[in-house]
Amino acid sequence: MENDKRAITGALAAATCTLLGTASPQPVQAQEEPDWNFDTGLLYYGEGDNRVQDLSFDVLARRNLLDERSLTLGFTVDSLTGATPTGALPQALPQTFTSPSGRGGYTISAGQLPVDNTFHDTRLAGRVNWQQPLGRLTLINVGATASNEIDYLHLGLNAQLSHDFFKRNTTLSAGAAVARDTVNPIGGAPVPFTQMQAATGGGGGGEDGEGGGVGGPGESKDVTDFMAGITQVLTRNLLVQLNYSYTDSSGYLTDPYKVLSVIDPNTGDGIQLTPGVGLDGPTYLYLYEHRPDTRKQQSLYGQAKYFMDGTVLDLSYRYMTDDWQIHSQTVDLHLKWPLNSTDYLEPHLRFYRQSEAYFYRPSLNDGEPLPDYASADYRLGRFNAFTAGLKYGWTSANGSDMSVRLEWYRQTGKIPRNMLTGDQLLVNNFPDLNALILQFGYRFGR
Amino acid sequence: MKTVFRIVVLAASVASAGCASIGVQPWQRDVLARQDMQLTTDPVEAAIDDHIYFSKEASSGGRGFGGGGCGCN
Amino acid sequence: MSSRRVSRRVTVTRAGDHWQGRFEAMACPCEVLSEAANAGEARRLTQLAATEAWRIEDKFSRYLAGNVVERINTAAGEPVEVDAETAELIEFATTLNRLSDGRFDISSGALRRAWTFDGSDRVPPPAAIAAALRAVGWHRASWTPPLLRLPADMEIDFGGIGKEYAVDRAVAILRERSPVSCLVNFGGDLAVTSAPGSRRAWTVGIEPADAAATRSPARLSLAAGALATSGDTRRYLLRDGVRYGHILDPTTGWPVPHTPRSVTVAADTCTQAGMLSTLAMLEGEGAEAFLAAQGVRYWCYRDPPDRPGTVANSPSDLPQEGISNA
Repeated sequence: MENDKRAITGALAAATCTLLGTASPQPVQAQEEPDWNFDTGLLYYGEGDNRVQDLSFDVLARRNLLDERSLTLGFTVDSLTGATPTGALPQALPQTFTSPSGRGGYTISAGQLPVDNTFHDTRLAGRVNWQQPLGRLTLINVGATASNEIDYLHLGLNAQLSHDFFKRNTTLSAGAAVARDTVNPIGGAPVPFTQMQAATGGGGGGEDGEGGGVGGPGESKDVTDFMAGITQVLTRNLLVQLNYSYTDSSGYLTDPYKVLSVIDPNTGDGIQLTPGVGLDGPTYLYLYEHRPDTRKQQSLYGQAKYFMDGTVLDLSYRYMTDDWQIHSQTVDLHLKWPLNSTDYLEPHLRFYRQSEAYFYRPSLNDGEPLPDYASADYRLGRFNAFTAGLKYGWTSANGSDMSVRLEWYRQTGKIPRNMLTGDQLLVNNFPDLNALILQFGYRFGR
Repeated sequence: MKTVFRIVVLAASVASAGCASIGVQPWQRDVLARQDMQLTTDPVEAAIDDHIYFSKEASSGGRGFGGGGCGCN
Repeated sequence: MSSRRVSRRVTVTRAGDHWQGRFEAMACPCEVLSEAANAGEARRLTQLAATEAWRIEDKFSRYLAGNVVERINTAAGEPVEVDAETAELIEFATTLNRLSDGRFDISSGALRRAWTFDGSDRVPPPAAIAAALRAVGWHRASWTPPLLRLPADMEIDFGGIGKEYAVDRAVAILRERSPVSCLVNFGGDLAVTSAPGSRRAWTVGIEPADAAATRSPARLSLAAGALATSGDTRRYLLRDGVRYGHILDPTTGWPVPHTPRSVTVAADTCTQAGMLSTLAMLEGEGAEAFLAAQGVRYWCYRDPPDRPGTVANSPSDLPQEGISNA
């Protein structure tokens, strides 16, 4: 028999309509679900003033199995270059610092914010998660995370349980995570409040450096997280979530590369040093910082998603407080605005405010007894941050989703006047930050 | 710290008391099933943002467990 | 074979985030998945579908005494007056017989008596095939609605359309009686009443006929429409290296060679999906070409030619998939 290639669908449809006695039925909507869903992102992050630049690539792969079981694999590669503030203050004269390896140094011009640009680091991170139902209304998710940099290793485990109530309108979830992070600072972990030593040009750390630097025993920290949350469907178009989390970190929480400038409490100027014969620096007195070895944080997070006739509003608020006396508030707003059936625009605004840690100070005073803890790291200081961005997304012909977003992140900080003396009052010592975020996203299934 | 805990307990009990009557029928969840109505619409973008803000600020997380620590803070 | 001793009970259980109502009808396991608010509602919906399935089975099964099919098959050449529903089915069968150039033929049941499909290579003698062919051929029937007159030795069987028709009828009834989204599945032939509210679509797995298949089941999201599958499972003949499925071509009296193991088609109604999958099987080697020409979404699973009955790992063994034109 010859293959009959005539299309009979029209006649078949007509015959079926007559048979079933109904008007033309709804057209079939059948779509094959891919075995794997891939979510990828390429990020460029760049700060002004020749500070940090970061390029990273993220992949998240999800294998969906029947009955709501799924396996998620994530991988990130992150390449960081550029300079980061060391915590030292600008001075009226050029400053020479020793780089963390102890083998070289760098000089900062007069009046410039000291930044250390000897860092080039590539981070690799991975995660695995397995999710499955435990009974009809309960879902369990277990996972592991790992991340590796030249001086830092993170290993963690997490688990979360969630249960639905009231026709699945309410979901309660609880989870815990534990992590052990190991730090092997380049040049070794410095003893807190010891002086930055001259560059030795060959050896490992400075003579007071403990830990032996790269290859030495290193320092570690343990982080335990607990989280409890409730998600509630309020109406057909409105969903809210409230989460409480508690994080306990203990161990080596100090940043081994950050210092504080020691200043004359009368003039506000740094204490100058004369480097030894044949050495370049350091030219001022800097002491390594010291943070407490425990930190307990709590945060309360609320989020609402509201659907308004095609447009989706996503608003969240987070309040954080910890025993370093840092309080922060974050407001995050996204608005997804469809342009047509495949394209959308999504403006984004984020407001952040943080108060300083109790041991945060811009410098140490010469001649005074040392405090227990001190850090001039601007990230523990008092500042406001603002993000404004726009994302454009579209669905391509073969069903994959693509997006590009451009954002601007700005931090402006203020060192409380009562922490400043003398000449410092004339200069704004907080290293304001301006950064550009550019990210491409591509989601597809196979 | 104690204030935060009290607020949480209050919110949870208020929420659970009223929960039985709030919500939608199973067949009214069409909007909620949309990808853009999920709490985390874009997990990669969320992870990237979480990492950026963890590196530049003193706060972290809130939404869920992060991808893990790093030496950036 | 339908057994009259199969119990006509409806059982309802909770499955994930929906309800599953089960019963037996038309010699296969039937189920109604629904987003009912509670077990009672799920039972009511399943009962509606089951009642309709049993009604159609009782009316059109050729194994039951006292129904219209028995009257037609025992009429011995006399005209039989049929009711409106039977007339519609006969009209449909006539149209399909014409559209398929005689390959779809509800009078072809007689051919089955000549053949035994047991995996062997035993073929009936030509005389037996010729004798069976004499009783077959819809063009020899006289259909002037509402009167059907068959030649004395001819018998009809609605088995080729009955199940899919029952699915569509059940779906129509459920749509009329409830806003709840249901998926009606009679032994693999299924359709949905409407898109489910709690997720985007119903998830259906399409499995290759062989349980030992290397490819995991295709997962399909069905928000509207129907799926039907034709397959020959383990009933086949193997002769001279050619695999003959149990689908017989009424124009030749022989089984169709090189049939796929199974064909699944997605269409607006189960009846349409069922007819397309059956016609595709009847095309044998040309199944994929036929389905591609129809512009419908299909999944066609074949055995590799050198090892019938097993599924190989080679890429050529991957199922053929069709993308609809829409």
